Amino acid sequence: MSVPLKLIYNEDPTKNIGSEVRKNIVRPIVTYNNISKSYGDLQVLKNIDLEIAPGEKVALIGPSGSGKTTLARLLMTLEEPTSGTIEVEGEMLWHQRVNDKLIKANEKHLHQVRGNIGMVFQHFNLFPHMTILRNVMEAPRNVLGLSKDEAKERAVKMLEQVGLSSKIDAYPAQLSGGQKQRVAIARALVMRPKVMLFDEPTSALDPELVGEVLEVIKAIASEGEMAMLLITHEMDFAKDVADRILFFDQGKIIEQGPPKKIFNNPESERLQTFLSRFNRH
Amino acid sequence: MWFDILPSFWEGTKITIELTLFSAVIAFFLAFAAGFGRLSKFRAVRLLAATYVEVFRGTSLFVQLFWIYFALPLFGIMLPKMVAGVLALSLNAGAYGSEIVRSTLISVPKGQSEAAIALNMTPWQRTRLVILPQALVMMLPAFGNLIIELLKGTALVSLITLSDLTFVATVLNSSIMRPTEIFSVLLIIYFVISLPFTKGIQWIEHRLSAGRY
Repeated sequence: MSVPLKLIYNEDPTKNIGSEVRKNIVRPIVTYNNISKSYGDLQVLKNIDLEIAPGEKVALIGPSGSGKTTLARLLMTLEEPTSGTIEVEGEMLWHQRVNDKLIKANEKHLHQVRGNIGMVFQHFNLFPHMTILRNVMEAPRNVLGLSKDEAKERAVKMLEQVGLSSKIDAYPAQLSGGQKQRVAIARALVMRPKVMLFDEPTSALDPELVGEVLEVIKAIASEGEMAMLLITHEMDFAKDVADRILFFDQGKIIEQGPPKKIFNNPESERLQTFLSRFNRH
Repeated sequence: MWFDILPSFWEGTKITIELTLFSAVIAFFLAFAAGFGRLSKFRAVRLLAATYVEVFRGTSLFVQLFWIYFALPLFGIMLPKMVAGVLALSLNAGAYGSEIVRSTLISVPKGQSEAAIALNMTPWQRTRLVILPQALVMMLPAFGNLIIELLKGTALVSLITLSDLTFVATVLNSSIMRPTEIFSVLLIIYFVISLPFTKGIQWIEHRLSAGRY
């Protein structure tokens, strides 16, 4: 199934340079410094260090329960790190510096910093009591403070981009899973975040609906400006879209590199085992 | 005979409806204040709300009414019958209502507030735009029940000699001794009063959930 797309294709001048090089010439948009996260005795993230460059597309792969989702949720401020710090554009996310001491950030500080981040959830999480249009225009209107007309214009344009302008008056319950996820993508994009998180965006979809959602994400990725952190089990998609692949297992980044290397030349045994499970099908 | 007693029934009916409406409005506000209060991030607010709810759920309406009307004067607070009645009924219904508010607020799926956070909404915007509208739809059937309970609870105020429907009926009965007729009429009037409340709630419920599911 093809989706009408009207995305603007901006060539990123640094696109063809490897991500390792890009990191050195631009300040990272996101930095995880020695991040750990535990739930009681269970440690789901173990001393993670990670930098994401502006516009970089990073795909996270790995077995379920390896901590990929938690990594994204920490950045979206849905979950608090147990230790370590996260910076967004050089600004601390979960902490504030007061008199040279790091203290826990308050809601006001979180509000300031998390405006740079957007997220698409596995289960869409559309607002069921709002029409599609209101789902997309509510945040621009209330959070960005746009006028009703401006917010509507922006929302309609965004819904056109994901091929759903005919559904603006429908309610989420009247849409297919693939359509819901496309609305959710539009709802996140309309806020123009600098970093977008995709948490297994196609895992809850029927197989025949996966394609339309992946196509939309690919088109967004090719715009280039926005950094993306993609958690996915779609290996071909990760290979296509990502500049860099991170392989996660048991709360750690086991191996990372450009897609070619990760998929053709996996070094660690765990990654080889993980990939062989996909190649069998 | 009916010609003589119907006007007094009408007077009683008016008092009963007034009691129900006033109490319902105040109970509604109390329910939201205490329901939100129990979910507050401030311990003192949570404690205050919980104390109110447990005290008024844990004691009978009958005793609360008597206490407000007969015991408060000992502390120098003398309330007119109608005020005492409304106060007891609304405090009691508000306590039950707050549990409806609290439980529906927390039963809105977690993904909803997470999506609202991801859109960088402030806590108040999350509540106002995302959580409350969904919780409200779930609250309505329970609020409908509560308002009917409240209506029937008003009968208790006859015990502090407020001349509501039940009071009128008992007085009439002791003078003309026709319990079958009088209490049958009483039954019917209560039922007829409750109908618009039931229908009204159903109508709002229908309106609020239109097109959604």
